[in-house]
Amino acid sequence: MSWMQKLYETYENCQLMIGKVASEKEVPLLPICHSTNKAQIEIVIDHQGTFKRARVVPKDDARTIIPCTEKSSGGRTSGEAPHPLSDKLQYVAKDYKDYDGIKKPYFKSYISNLEAWCKSRFSHPKAKAVLSYVNKGTVVKDLIDKKILIAGENGKLLKKWDGDKKEKPDIFALFQNEGWQADAFIRWEVEIPNDPCSKTWEDETLWKKWIDYYSDTKKEKSLCYVTGKELFMADLHPAKLRNDGDKAKLISSNDWDGFTFRGRFTDTKKHNTYQTCGVGFDVTQKAHSALRWLISRQGYRNGDQAIVAWATSGVEIPDPLADPLDILGEDNLKSDDSDNVSVAQNLAIKLRQKIAGYKVDLGDTSGVVVMGIDSATQGRMAITFYRELTGSEFLERLERWHDACAWIHDYGYNRETKKHIRFVGAPAPKDIAVAAYGSKIDDKLKKATVERLLPCIIDGQQVPIDILDSAVRRACNRTGMEEWEWNKTLSIACALFRKLNEKEGYNMALDPNRKTRDYLYGRLLAIADRLEGHALYKAKEKRDTNAARYMQQFAGRPNKTWRQIYLSLSPYMARLGGAKYYKDMMDEVMCKFDPIEDFTSDKPLSGEFLLGYHCQREKLKPKKGEPASIDDDNLVEE
Amino acid sequence: MERENKVEFKVEGRYALFTDPLTKIGGEKCSYHIPTYEALKGVLSSVYWKPTIIWVIDRVRVMKRIRTQTRSAKPVEYGGGNSLAIYTYLADIEYQVQAHFEWNMYRKDMEKDRNENKHFFAAKRMIEKGGRRDIFLGARECQGYVEPCRFGEGKSDYDNYGEIAFDLMFHGFDYPDELGKDELYARFWRPKMIDGKIDFFRPEECSIRKTVRHMKANPPQSIGLREEGLLEGFEELEVLK
Repeated sequence: MSWMQKLYETYENCQLMIGKVASEKEVPLLPICHSTNKAQIEIVIDHQGTFKRARVVPKDDARTIIPCTEKSSGGRTSGEAPHPLSDKLQYVAKDYKDYDGIKKPYFKSYISNLEAWCKSRFSHPKAKAVLSYVNKGTVVKDLIDKKILIAGENGKLLKKWDGDKKEKPDIFALFQNEGWQADAFIRWEVEIPNDPCSKTWEDETLWKKWIDYYSDTKKEKSLCYVTGKELFMADLHPAKLRNDGDKAKLISSNDWDGFTFRGRFTDTKKHNTYQTCGVGFDVTQKAHSALRWLISRQGYRNGDQAIVAWATSGVEIPDPLADPLDILGEDNLKSDDSDNVSVAQNLAIKLRQKIAGYKVDLGDTSGVVVMGIDSATQGRMAITFYRELTGSEFLERLERWHDACAWIHDYGYNRETKKHIRFVGAPAPKDIAVAAYGSKIDDKLKKATVERLLPCIIDGQQVPIDILDSAVRRACNRTGMEEWEWNKTLSIACALFRKLNEKEGYNMALDPNRKTRDYLYGRLLAIADRLEGHALYKAKEKRDTNAARYMQQFAGRPNKTWRQIYLSLSPYMARLGGAKYYKDMMDEVMCKFDPIEDFTSDKPLSGEFLLGYHCQREKLKPKKGEPASIDDDNLVEE
Repeated sequence: MERENKVEFKVEGRYALFTDPLTKIGGEKCSYHIPTYEALKGVLSSVYWKPTIIWVIDRVRVMKRIRTQTRSAKPVEYGGGNSLAIYTYLADIEYQVQAHFEWNMYRKDMEKDRNENKHFFAAKRMIEKGGRRDIFLGARECQGYVEPCRFGEGKSDYDNYGEIAFDLMFHGFDYPDELGKDELYARFWRPKMIDGKIDFFRPEECSIRKTVRHMKANPPQSIGLREEGLLEGFEELEVLK
């Protein structure tokens, strides 16, 4: 299982991306021994440690890269573990207690760490400046003087702003619920003459000094289980993989009390010689940093579950869990006035071209890794899915998935033009889960279903039959859903059925030569539905057609229900003046039943009838230029 | 050893868990995609083993496509109660294994037992019977079944697949009774799977090793028949004493 090795390789290949922040939502690729945190207050000092000015940091600028130790990044759940440079008021301000800070002041540990760093040969002028300022012990006082932090009449920090809402200072807006201004996180800017980069979180020389200093503190060398070399060992592994507040770890530190793994190993907490497992410090920092960056950038998230696919060379690849609209991107989908079917086919071609485009960048041998992680408890994460493929294999499987599981879908939505787009392709796994189990699907079930569908996309495995059955059953229950939801479920069920029965080679357009019982029954239902729908439209009545109401019965007992539907069609046929067009069509379909026992038998229908229904309905839809019918309105998602 | 004593067998099961050490310490166990040398040695030892011999696994052939499956578990905690964990198993496993045995030279007390024919034929019979003890694939909950077969017969999902290289993986432990030193070692290697077949390194050939800890071999002190008090109460056999 070489996930660590692959992540490490990815990090090394993407060195150029370190520290570059793409957008506020994305985590940048971090240098080792650094973490990110949201800062609320920014203090600017000069190189001698004198306070110059400060400001409240707005929310979209808050993400800051800070140096950290293994303990402070991983194990700060309870107990003190100071960050080396930027930290909360609780750590940084000597006068925290004087102004009514509730939590325990941890200033001593912070200052001793900072002093140790500045005294070593890896010190940096910015760190020294911060040290001399902090030693003065006036952090909170200075902030109150500049009206960044607000003190009440007694001189202590205000818990909440009671005054006029319009005059509410910025600092209060940044804290909700339990937090208040004394929980603020400070970041430093040090203005040194001739130094263009005053921000400590963007200064690469400062990062390097911290990395060198921290690496120097590592004394123990042992065999790294990832690279096979003798490296300095990591004591703790990083957390914060899925989001800033995530305490779950992939490699949990040794469980000394619970005997999760003991047995033949005799390590104790005091004397840890990494008997069970050791990973190099460098390796684990880089690997976790890469994973965090990838999940934030291109991962699929659903609660605790995160699934991410990436190329080890850092090249962009299509998301395996997206539907064609997401892969093609919204700019490609301008509203097109031409015939619906050809637009959809165009999209299919565009998708294939786009995937082929990725092939050029990826090359033949570049590796692609797909990894899924999930957690059962808060502190640990498990790797639930892991595959390594070559670039060409990955793209080939993706193409095959979009080819085989494709159907015409109408639920695409372009947010800009606010119009619905029809596309041809495979539905996204999360949509499949909703189609199979309902929109009020339980989170755990959704997670499990997406996980079950991953091997179908990546490994080319067959779709599980129970998911198909579920989707077909729900698609038959037309009266239980809104029109748009039903249409979505119908097209997804058709796509799944088509995938499972690849050998039959179903066409997305109507196949006039197909004589299978279920297909023909589906066609009949569509014709009856359309006939009645047309008649009702002409009479301007907005009722459900009989075909719609009896669809579920039809799936269970086709022959008996068909009789009911057909008999109820006579008034509508009269309204349409005979309806010769539809009657001829029905006769044509009826003739195709061969042998006649196929028609007279009452055996339940399989999902194939949905394909027949969908194709026939497509064919019967009015072309552009003809009066719109009642069907088109109902395709809109509420 | 005068004659070739190769044995071939097929082991299959519904699940396997060849735990990756990196995930084991946290408790969220994840399986390697291929069996470790030690796991297969364990399977063969469950089929037939005597202290006289050391099994050496030569090759393994993966017959079915590698599939993983996650299951949730409620492992019991040492202090009572349970926690929740997610384990990733391999599903639907079938392997063909080829192995041979060698004498354990560090067991001098077994000298008289070094009879090739005895062990070879006993092993073959036990493979036909499906093993003396329960077979498990990696972890105890993954039951396995052993049958005789010819290595290389039948079609596998990986015929003509090409080469897959794996990164550093656990190979096995060097126990003091087989190594001769009073230490426990862990060995690692980088496997290569060609058309579904993996040729294992011999334990001595693994260059990446790590000393885990000090350990002393503890073979039984006697082989039983001369124990005090064993034949008490049997007058007619007093002659043997």
